[in-house]
Amino acid sequence: MIKAFLSIVAKELLDFLRSWGLVVVVLYSFTVDVYIAGSGMQIEPKNVSVGYVDYTGGGISQKILFHLHEPEFVAPKRFLSQKQLSEAIFNKEIMVGIVFDQDFEKNYRKHKKATIDVLLDATAASQSFITLSYLQNIVLNFSKLNIPIDIDIHKLFNPNSDERYFMALVELLSVVTMLSILLPAVVFVREKEEGTWDIMLLMPVDPKIVILAKSLSQIIIIMAGVVITVGLVLFGTFNIPMNGPFFAFLLLTFFYAFTSAGIGLFIASVSEGMMQTAQLSMLIMMPLIFLSGAWTPVYAMHPILEKLSLLSPLRYYIEGCESIFFRGTSFIDLWQYFAGVLVLGSVLYWYGFRKIGKLF
Amino acid sequence: MAYLEVNKVTVLYKGNKIGIKEASFEANEGDIIGFIGADGTGKSSLMHAIAGVVKFEGEIIFDKYAYHSPKEAEKIKKHMGFMPQGLGLILYNTLTVEEHLNFFASIRNLIMDKNFKAYKQKLLHMAGLSRFTEREAGHLSGGMKQKLSLICALIHKPKLLLLDEPTTGVDPLSRLELWEILDSIRKEEGTIVIVSTAYMQEASKMDKLLLFEDNGIIARGSSKELINTVRGNTYEKTPCESEDCLELYDTTYSLKPLKSKHKEPTLEGLFFVSALKNRKKLPEISVSQRKEPLDIPPIVMEAKQLTKKFGSFVANDRIDIKLKRNEILGLFGANGAGKTTFIKMLLGLYPIDSGELTLLSQPIRSGRDRQKLKSKIGYVSQHFALYKNMSVRENLIYFANIHQIPTHETLKRIERYAEELGFSDYLDAMPKDLPLGINQRFSIAAAIIHEPVVLFLDEPTSGVDVIARYQLWQLLRLLKEKWGISILITTHYMSEAEYCDRVVLLKDGKKVADDTVENFYKKHPNANNFEEIFLEYYKEAN
Repeated sequence: MIKAFLSIVAKELLDFLRSWGLVVVVLYSFTVDVYIAGSGMQIEPKNVSVGYVDYTGGGISQKILFHLHEPEFVAPKRFLSQKQLSEAIFNKEIMVGIVFDQDFEKNYRKHKKATIDVLLDATAASQSFITLSYLQNIVLNFSKLNIPIDIDIHKLFNPNSDERYFMALVELLSVVTMLSILLPAVVFVREKEEGTWDIMLLMPVDPKIVILAKSLSQIIIIMAGVVITVGLVLFGTFNIPMNGPFFAFLLLTFFYAFTSAGIGLFIASVSEGMMQTAQLSMLIMMPLIFLSGAWTPVYAMHPILEKLSLLSPLRYYIEGCESIFFRGTSFIDLWQYFAGVLVLGSVLYWYGFRKIGKLF
Repeated sequence: MAYLEVNKVTVLYKGNKIGIKEASFEANEGDIIGFIGADGTGKSSLMHAIAGVVKFEGEIIFDKYAYHSPKEAEKIKKHMGFMPQGLGLILYNTLTVEEHLNFFASIRNLIMDKNFKAYKQKLLHMAGLSRFTEREAGHLSGGMKQKLSLICALIHKPKLLLLDEPTTGVDPLSRLELWEILDSIRKEEGTIVIVSTAYMQEASKMDKLLLFEDNGIIARGSSKELINTVRGNTYEKTPCESEDCLELYDTTYSLKPLKSKHKEPTLEGLFFVSALKNRKKLPEISVSQRKEPLDIPPIVMEAKQLTKKFGSFVANDRIDIKLKRNEILGLFGANGAGKTTFIKMLLGLYPIDSGELTLLSQPIRSGRDRQKLKSKIGYVSQHFALYKNMSVRENLIYFANIHQIPTHETLKRIERYAEELGFSDYLDAMPKDLPLGINQRFSIAAAIIHEPVVLFLDEPTSGVDVIARYQLWQLLRLLKEKWGISILITTHYMSEAEYCDRVVLLKDGKKVADDTVENFYKKHPNANNFEEIFLEYYKEAN
């Protein structure tokens, strides 16, 4: 039995290495994709185009505009009327429009309430609102308010507030989810497509061995990919710290991969071809990732979704990995994440295993 | 000047793969031109070039209009009818027969006047579909689908009709009817009909044959003329002495004169003689004796009242078949007759709906009963499905490992089979790079690497050339003689029944005949071959 098991694992690995299309997709997902997600996500304003209409004749208004400089803003562009400015915003030439009305400087000098009108293109919502808070800060400095409170900030776990840390890690975990659903499904569906399914069924090997060997072979590929990403991208490019035990991360990944493989087996059992597999994988994966807190923090979800998120194994995986990488939680204290992944994992894998086993 | 002239047409596919090389021929109004040859010899490529659906080099002149590219061919497409390979591929399962004809008429912009209606009725009548105008295409039998496809291609009265293997997998009676339709159409309308076929028996129905091999035309002429060219090379079976000689099942072909009597030649002979002339060595096929004698029960497989239903469709209707020790049993029938379903039930790939099955004296009731037998059964699936990302050697090693054969034994067996079945040169090639004939023998090697006592083969001969087909049967007979195993094989080539010990004929999921080859001939003294014997059964059933 061991010989048959190892033969199947070896055959699947060989098969994978020779399907260069698949190899390229997997390598891309584990390297470039994680890199892009980590470095490409820009929430801070950069190169924001500013236009203004100044009815005051200059002075304070120019002093304020002087604060809008590179790299956050491109040099403000002057418009002669509010109508022109609105048009420019409509045509996407300008993202932030500032209007200083005639009374602005007068009121400011008289210490009356001076008003600046700001027009925001809110299509890129987060960018425009962060830009707004920049503007407010600048204006605040002018108002010289006397509030006897000072904020002293201590940033924990990520002292530079490096967005890339979180984005890159979460993308890696999503890639692991996607591939550990897709790859095990593909090894079975490919047999269906190429007509070797019958031959596989007729092998004098216990179906359980076949299913286990096939899923294990794909998990080996995923583990190799994870090691590559962590080494090249997370540590090599983004300098993400590793504060906890590395083996705990690998172990958690291994269990998690089996969890998603269970979903993959289920998909393989109900789909006839590659196209169907890809579609079903997307359909199942999206809510899984959405509920995990990868895109929206769990505490910000609707109460019902928040409860549902307990059912997403990815949630425990992400929280567990964050704890390992950033918080440096000790192995013993990770038990809840392991428990979450293991409990959901055994249910899902058992179900997928049974479902595909019925086809044998 | 001929009505259709094809001048040095060459079709190249991606990566400079040759489809057909410098093919030329002419045809006049009312001619039936036959393309004969195995899969991948360029029949379809040439047909696609004439139909103007692929790029080609050379020139085609149709009714004084010359074209050199698909774009130029656009102008004459309204005079063409094209039926691609495959059963009912141009049909829509949810449209009725009548709707099909109207649909094809409207995409051809035909005026639906009285003449059209009369012509439509005539076509329906010819195809024997007059009674089924309201039936959806999805519910037609294979033969009816093919006849419907044909009359759909005829609805606009084309001057040139291109039919790519219209008869493959169709039952003998429907095939005969298809030929009758073609014959009357060409007489009445003067249509040029170009037909490709894998059945040699149909050659006599054509005015002119083009024989395809190695992506070129190797011989042309009428069926009689062609057969006469090999009359001098065909002998009664005699042992070969020289190199230029081939000894087959019951015939010997030799380039040098032999002393023995001449035999009535066949069209198949042309391929063998052509191989001899090109000095193509046919690999010697041999099988060595097994080390240990086998313990096989006298009845290897017994099916009693086996039934399989797919919804309301009965694929196998109460079938009784016995497979005896040391017997080659041929399961014959058209596409959709239930051959594959039956084999799949035997193997446990489809659950059995009702009936009893006994394999190697073991009644089969559950999957567990089968598990023990799996190592005694060999199976070659349709299209020789093997792992395409692994070389021949790797595939064989994989199958051996799965069967728990010790590695040193595996390597020995692979060497031996490669030698005996003649694929030594291809051991490290990938399956997709193999010629189909080699692929077929290598699939059999994979199926017998664990030395089974019974071998099931599902359509192992479809699409394979005459020579490779002959060699396959030779191999099966050797396996039977040397190993004493039983073989169950399905095929739609009725003529191959000659090679079997016993023959079962399936029609629409029912068994209609089951006897030994000798008895079939005794019962049908007027029949010359199995094609005609089976035809009688189909006529009876109707």
